[in-house]
Amino acid sequence: MTDLLQALGSGILVGLVYSLLGLCIVIVYKASEAFNFAVGEFMVTGSFLFYIFFFDLQFPFLIALPLGLAAAAAAGAVIETLTIRPLIGRSPIAMTIITLGLAFFIRACLQLIFGSHSYSFFLELPDISIDAGELLFLSDPLWAGIMALLTFFIVMFFLFRTKWGLAIRATSENQAKAMAFGINAKMILLVVWAASSACIAVAGIMISNFGALSTMSSIVGLRAIPVVLIGGMDSIGGALAGGIIVGICESLVGTYIEPLGFTGFKEVAPYILLLIVVLIRPYGLFGTVRIERV
Amino acid sequence: MLAVENLRVVYHDVISVLNGISISLEKGELLVIIGANGAGKTTLLRTVAGMIDFYDGEIIEGDITLDGLSIKGVDTVGIMKHHGLTYVMEDRPVFWYLTIDENLRAAAFSGRGRNVKADMEKAYQYFPPLRGLAKKKAGYASGGEQQMLAIAMALMTQPGILLLDEPSLGLAPLITEGLFAIIKRLNESGISVMLVEQNASAALEIGSRGYVMELGRIVLEGKASELAANKDVREFYLGSGEKARRSYRDAKRYKRRKRWL
Repeated sequence: MTDLLQALGSGILVGLVYSLLGLCIVIVYKASEAFNFAVGEFMVTGSFLFYIFFFDLQFPFLIALPLGLAAAAAAGAVIETLTIRPLIGRSPIAMTIITLGLAFFIRACLQLIFGSHSYSFFLELPDISIDAGELLFLSDPLWAGIMALLTFFIVMFFLFRTKWGLAIRATSENQAKAMAFGINAKMILLVVWAASSACIAVAGIMISNFGALSTMSSIVGLRAIPVVLIGGMDSIGGALAGGIIVGICESLVGTYIEPLGFTGFKEVAPYILLLIVVLIRPYGLFGTVRIERV
Repeated sequence: MLAVENLRVVYHDVISVLNGISISLEKGELLVIIGANGAGKTTLLRTVAGMIDFYDGEIIEGDITLDGLSIKGVDTVGIMKHHGLTYVMEDRPVFWYLTIDENLRAAAFSGRGRNVKADMEKAYQYFPPLRGLAKKKAGYASGGEQQMLAIAMALMTQPGILLLDEPSLGLAPLITEGLFAIIKRLNESGISVMLVEQNASAALEIGSRGYVMELGRIVLEGKASELAANKDVREFYLGSGEKARRSYRDAKRYKRRKRWL
């Protein structure tokens, strides 16, 4: 019983970080209809930008974090301007393939600049670990879960309670219509990519805090694929649910199945789950029910 | 005040859609443009509204001026903000997954420091049926309600010139009649309107002046009442030519159409 609670709790905490990654893919997908396969590389880029401010320049955490996120947003904006903007109004498939190319390109650039070795990454956040009898939740995953959830809700507030969020939702439905009513679709896409890049950086920083940062950390970005496909490509609530489902799936498999001798099965389990979900519900668990007029 | 001079527009570098078209829209006018499918009416509106880039089209000749200033190459948002020209696309350009209330707010996005509430109130006054639907998703509204919403959204941008692309598309005759009455009222309130229509008879009834387009050119121009009485327009667009001597006329009809083009 304790095992189960422990596994569920840890699963949810990691899952919240996956949810945040999923959310970033979903908002970009909704706005530009492109699936951002470079999510892992965006994550590492953001983490390294933060690394520069926090560890190299030794700024205090509360200054380094906004600076790092702003730099990540700027990087996202530059990438959008150079690669996605020329394709506005063209096939979304082209944009998706561009992001695949971007993934390799950014990874290679990062390796050139930072090398392939690991950088130790320790934030020294206040200890908030919970030790309740048999249950033990370490401080780092708790912080990761809290930060991810906080970022998630800031994005939700921005999308559903502000004028800009409304403009983003309108643009994500149809760029031509939005332009005709005076919403600058190009600027909206820029904002979405920048915001997504900053939020991915939050996830990246929290994940790096579990251990170390290296250019190979981008593999974690692949976890976002089952998250969004299980939740539904165009559903924000789905990203939250999908992330938690993937997190729990991983930790349950880690607790109960791996000890039976299936070492490494944890890495595969979310993709098997993905396959099952997509076979039963091709649009994902929470994919939008299309409005059909009869 | 709005003048299109000798405009030529090509899609994808090869498909020539507007072949040297010239029209003008005077202040306070309700201008009607009629023409068959593929005549280039929608392209004309897109070009004037600065959206032709988005559809991979290009202006290769001619100019568009507003009060003497060229607006060629200005983007849609700029034309709307600085020149007060709003384009209502065809086929009810509303955001299906937003509520009607949100749709109106979204359309007010470009206006800074405006009283959005007052503008919405004004829009609801023109289209009372929308008021009861404020919290409903626009995708579930009926065709007539969606078209009303589209025009109400255009009002949120406080237009001086309104370009309407086939507002009657897919609407019942009675609904169309009501809608056109409102368009007439909007025009009387001081908004210049350029109305592109397939429903020629209804449009010429409310319009003050009209153009007939064929294959990217203007082939006929005149007062709406004159156009409605014109023999060729009656036969080709209003569908009320003399039917009796049909076989003989068919042969001649081809020649008459050919002379036009």
